[in-house]
Amino acid sequence: MSTDNIIEIHKLTKVFGGVTAVFELDCTIKRGELLGIIGPNGSGKTTLVNLMTGFVKPTSGKILCNGKNITRMAAHKIIQLGIARTFQMVRPFYQLPAFKNMIIPLYSPRVKQMLGGRYGDRDAVALDLLEEVGFERDAYVAYKPAGALPQGYLKRLELAKAIALQPELIILDELFSGLSLAEVASIVPIIEKLRQKGKTIVMIEHRLKELFRIADRIMVLNFGCKIAQGTAEEVMASEEVKNAYLGSER
Amino acid sequence: MFAGTLVYAIVNSFTLILLAIGFNLTFGISGVANFAYGALYVLSAYLSWMMMNLLGLPFFPSVILSILATTLFGALMYRLVLLRVRGQALSEVIATFGIGLSILELFRYLGFVGFEYTLPVFFDHSFIIAGTYIDMQRISIVVLGFLLVVLLWLFTHHTSTGLAFRGIAQDERTALTFGIDSDWIATLSVSLGAGLAAIAATIIIPLGSISPSEGYDVLIKALAVCIIGGLGSTGGVIAAGFFIGFAERFTDTYFGSHWTMIVSLIAILIVLVIKPSGLFGQQKELEERI
Ligand SMILES: Nc1ncnc2c1ncn2[C@@H]1O[C@H](COP(=O)(O)OP(=O)(O)OP(=O)(O)O)[C@@H](O)[C@H]1O
Ligand SMILES: [Mg+2]
Repeated sequence: MSTDNIIEIHKLTKVFGGVTAVFELDCTIKRGELLGIIGPNGSGKTTLVNLMTGFVKPTSGKILCNGKNITRMAAHKIIQLGIARTFQMVRPFYQLPAFKNMIIPLYSPRVKQMLGGRYGDRDAVALDLLEEVGFERDAYVAYKPAGALPQGYLKRLELAKAIALQPELIILDELFSGLSLAEVASIVPIIEKLRQKGKTIVMIEHRLKELFRIADRIMVLNFGCKIAQGTAEEVMASEEVKNAYLGSER
Repeated sequence: MFAGTLVYAIVNSFTLILLAIGFNLTFGISGVANFAYGALYVLSAYLSWMMMNLLGLPFFPSVILSILATTLFGALMYRLVLLRVRGQALSEVIATFGIGLSILELFRYLGFVGFEYTLPVFFDHSFIIAGTYIDMQRISIVVLGFLLVVLLWLFTHHTSTGLAFRGIAQDERTALTFGIDSDWIATLSVSLGAGLAAIAATIIIPLGSISPSEGYDVLIKALAVCIIGGLGSTGGVIAAGFFIGFAERFTDTYFGSHWTMIVSLIAILIVLVIKPSGLFGQQKELEERI
């Protein structure tokens, strides 16, 4: 097992009833890289995230994390290995204020394991983390119930919750969708900062232009299969990718 | 007469809150409607009675042991039965109701019926408050009911397990991403609910007697309080406890006790017509917004 791959996926397949969402997929994620995953709607991107994070169990195939087999590991155990994710459809605790949403991850087993008992004032840490993802300090928003926040803040909150868990690998499922250009532009530096800290990042995106600017490598899925991978220019030059994207405009 | 009614209405409200709080906790966290709840209440009282009267143990060890045993029974019920039907609400109700029925009817079959089946009061003493006689046991109901609500609040707001409870209650998938084990939390929630039923029995039974039919009564009262309050909401249980508690006692005094049931039921219907999700029911719109 080479140690510079954080994730290795072998012949991973997931069938839902009659739908094959992911088919015999092979893929590796290198430590420290920013991998972009793209593909038309329904091509299996979210299913792949769910498979890697234990939310969905594969029909066949194998997933290794740092050489350890995590194929059928429960979701709550996978985060202990340092794999955090965000949801495409944001999933905050709607009744809790934004900063209280951060308290539950800060009390989680993962954070306990990483930092021991020492965490100081969790409310302050929560506010710091929110500030890091662009909640204005001393503004009202951090104290509003998550249910009352606009989409831009909900996406940031989603990111902050993942960061709070001190992960090695962060998987962002369409973090940019539903955001304005300006909002995306303000989140990009946050992601770049995470990379400087040595985090490995996987971004599922439909916002190709923004993704191509920051990704090291792109993988393209179509009907659950990998149809191309490489730099942004390489994959966009591929005929198969062009067809997949044109084909999806049925 | 008014002052006396007020005092007894407060006692009645705390009784209802004590009866409902465990059912509510379990439902609020894991979504399991534990229809064995009333049976667990009765089971713990019989266990205490047996330890005291058949084994000759003193009062405190007996009730502590029976509360612990009932808590453990709740955990086993989840691991051995409910885990297999997790998420299928109807199966959960049938399974728990079946377990409850078996417990209650077993005691009836074994002949555990009669006035001698009761638990002792904590202190045999009474006072006059606002011109009304009131005994220490009823005061204990108010004091312990209040303490239990406060403790539960502190637990769910300031301990990691309590916060995990709230996380699971609000969004199980998000809680999983934080490394919270939802099966373990659900086990704890059913077991803690059972323990709360046992605590309620220890405090409330001394005012009456233990009988299998008490199990059905307790279940119905707990359901009524939780439905009016908005299933799963602690604030709702408190509000609904006071609402029904006051409605019952004031009807008793001013209309006669044959009206009590009718007035309570009408009150329940009115709440449900005006606010179908209960007084503190969660706003579904919020979840469906995005
Ligand atoms: N839980 C499920 N049950 C049944 N089918 C599912 C389930 N999850 C996904 N699918 C199906 O699997 C296929 C892949 O879906 P997936 O959500 O992974 O696509 P995606 O690439 O994330 O799409 P999008 O870009 O729209 O987010 C789709 O056909 C979808 O309908
Ligand atoms: Mg998706």
